[in-house]
Amino acid sequence: MASAALAQLTQLLDSKKLAGTLTRPLEQGRACTKSGVAVLDEHLAGGWPQGQLSEIVGPASSGRTSVMLSTLAHVTQQGGVVALVDVADRLDPASAEAAGVVLDRLLWVRGPHLSSFQADGHRPRTSRPMTVVDLAVQRGLRAFDLIVRAGGFAVVACDLADVPARSLRALPTATWFRLGHVLEGQDTVGLLLASQPLGRSAGGVSLALQARSEWAGRSAQSRRLAGLSVTPAVSQRVRRGSACSFALSATR
Amino acid sequence: MFICLVRDSLSPSRPGVLATVARACSPRVETHGDDVVLCDGRGLTRVIGMPAVIAEEMRRMAWDREVGVRVAIAGSRTAAWLLAHVRSGTTIVSDGRERAQLERLSLPALRTLPSSLLTHRPSPAKRGNRVDSQKLDEVLATLDRWGLVTLGDFARLPRAEVLTRLGALGGRLHQAACGEDATPLVPSVEAPRFVERLELEWPVEGLEPLSFVLARMCDGLSAALAAADRGAVSLTTRLRLVTKATHVRVLTMPAPMRDAKTLRTLILLDLEANPAPAGIDIVEVECGVTPGRIVQGSLLTYPVPTPENLSTLIARLQALVGEDRVGAPVVVDSHDARAMAMQAFAPSTSEPQNPRTFEPQNPGTAPGTLNPEPRTSLRRRRPPTPVRVRLEKATPVEVAMDSMSSFAAVTSVAGPWRTSGQWWTNDAGSWDRDEWDVALDTGVTYRLARHRHSNQWDVEGEVD
Repeated sequence: MASAALAQLTQLLDSKKLAGTLTRPLEQGRACTKSGVAVLDEHLAGGWPQGQLSEIVGPASSGRTSVMLSTLAHVTQQGGVVALVDVADRLDPASAEAAGVVLDRLLWVRGPHLSSFQADGHRPRTSRPMTVVDLAVQRGLRAFDLIVRAGGFAVVACDLADVPARSLRALPTATWFRLGHVLEGQDTVGLLLASQPLGRSAGGVSLALQARSEWAGRSAQSRRLAGLSVTPAVSQRVRRGSACSFALSATR
Repeated sequence: MFICLVRDSLSPSRPGVLATVARACSPRVETHGDDVVLCDGRGLTRVIGMPAVIAEEMRRMAWDREVGVRVAIAGSRTAAWLLAHVRSGTTIVSDGRERAQLERLSLPALRTLPSSLLTHRPSPAKRGNRVDSQKLDEVLATLDRWGLVTLGDFARLPRAEVLTRLGALGGRLHQAACGEDATPLVPSVEAPRFVERLELEWPVEGLEPLSFVLARMCDGLSAALAAADRGAVSLTTRLRLVTKATHVRVLTMPAPMRDAKTLRTLILLDLEANPAPAGIDIVEVECGVTPGRIVQGSLLTYPVPTPENLSTLIARLQALVGEDRVGAPVVVDSHDARAMAMQAFAPSTSEPQNPRTFEPQNPGTAPGTLNPEPRTSLRRRRPPTPVRVRLEKATPVEVAMDSMSSFAAVTSVAGPWRTSGQWWTNDAGSWDRDEWDVALDTGVTYRLARHRHSNQWDVEGEVD
């Protein structure tokens, strides 16, 4: 009885072209794009789902940027073209190149400088820069929308990690639904990079990261940052299993 | 009657001048590079005058363009060509006297003949070039061994015997020595200009009415480009304003394109960013063109944006966030880790490093193309944020992210890594700093820099 009602509801949503709003468990064999980290891909049941809006969330120094760059590197090395909407202008080209990103296949849309905001505190110093931030976020999302609609990009990422939470909360909730709807039916992977979950599409993945820094060397002279030990948590899983972790080595 | 114009060797070469002179007199012009032109002169006597007048008129027109020419007028193209190349000044041969005029020319004059005058189907690459010099040398050496000196000596031989002994090339050279044409004149097509111009009844102000005008013009341009199998690589928009000034905008395309909608959108986006300062009276759009391209996609690589979509997208993004905020990042060859640049986004068409493979559906197997060692990245702050740092034994122990924040304890620290550069230039680009990696008790790992000359501490970015 329940399955019949569910089927009827699914059919109704499908007829209204709203089937994308249904949350389904990750399927084996669905079209996906690998993240470039083998352990993570296994956790994601193959990679990022295509045609869906997924998100990478976590606090600062949790490995969010590294996972995103690893995905971009994997795609660009295979000949794909990717785009990064960098709302806070935080991309370090040297890090991207070290991660393996083919830079001339990366469309970089830079936002204005937002350095007057603290990455950890997210607290504006004055009321004036808020306008700048809000405008930067709106332009960034508009750029994301334009790029996805243009088509041909394998991955379109939007880096909102350093945007104050109040600026993101001020956005209409339909924003994320609309972005997810634009991605539907395309081969493009939509990625949001944020400190807190924002609004992945129903078929997308929310990857929460936690990390601790690893240091090498015992003496003060030989001590150096060895990397990050990252523990991912996925919102949906194919099979429930033990938690995994992976290491990111430092580039210095 | 055919006319041959040859640039005088003492005169400078000016591309297109001879063709312009010839086209001013005749509609059927065959160009051979910038220095030789053949044209059909039949009927010109009724328009311009006697052959001598025609020749003088053409020499004068060329001279007005600072090019001295030799002119030969004869009943055949071959005779006109040979005489113009061998004799200076003006040579006019009356009909039927070609063979007699060529009689006294020496045999090496045949070397000047292009392949298009001797063969019926010259390859496009060889058109206008000389005949295969090795074969021609062999034929001329044979004629020399036979004791022949002039074209008249050669022309007096029976053609059938020449064909038997020297082959097809010998036969064609014999025809040339007799002043006969082996091939017809093939007129060169003048490169068409792709221009649309519209004079408006009333001045137009604003982009919306202009978009309708541009739509009509771009439709025409697109159709013309499609008919000629050409793609636009540049778009020049000239707007004649009511102030009698001309507003000119030039757009360069990343790839040839001819889609009317794309062309119109690009022009409009450009005019949106650079509007005309007054009402518009006349609109003119001209395309710089290149031959059409045939692109074969691959099933084994990711689909990439089409050049038309990409151009429009870049233009829209530049209008949205600014021209200098869109592009592809470039790593600058510098010891300064902060150095970076941007370039125009034009994805390379080279083969990918790791061609896409059809991966197995089981996600746990064969991750062959994965990056084996993912690395940490730096989220760089531009410009770096000043911070307060407390030191113990010249090592950071506490960091306050701004003047309002309290100090956070450093749990781990590594450094310093000292870098300096451009100190010899004494300008703002010089740097001399120590870099530290520090982990705070908040869980964030920062890269700090201390400027040694000012002792100021900055956050370069977060390790993420």
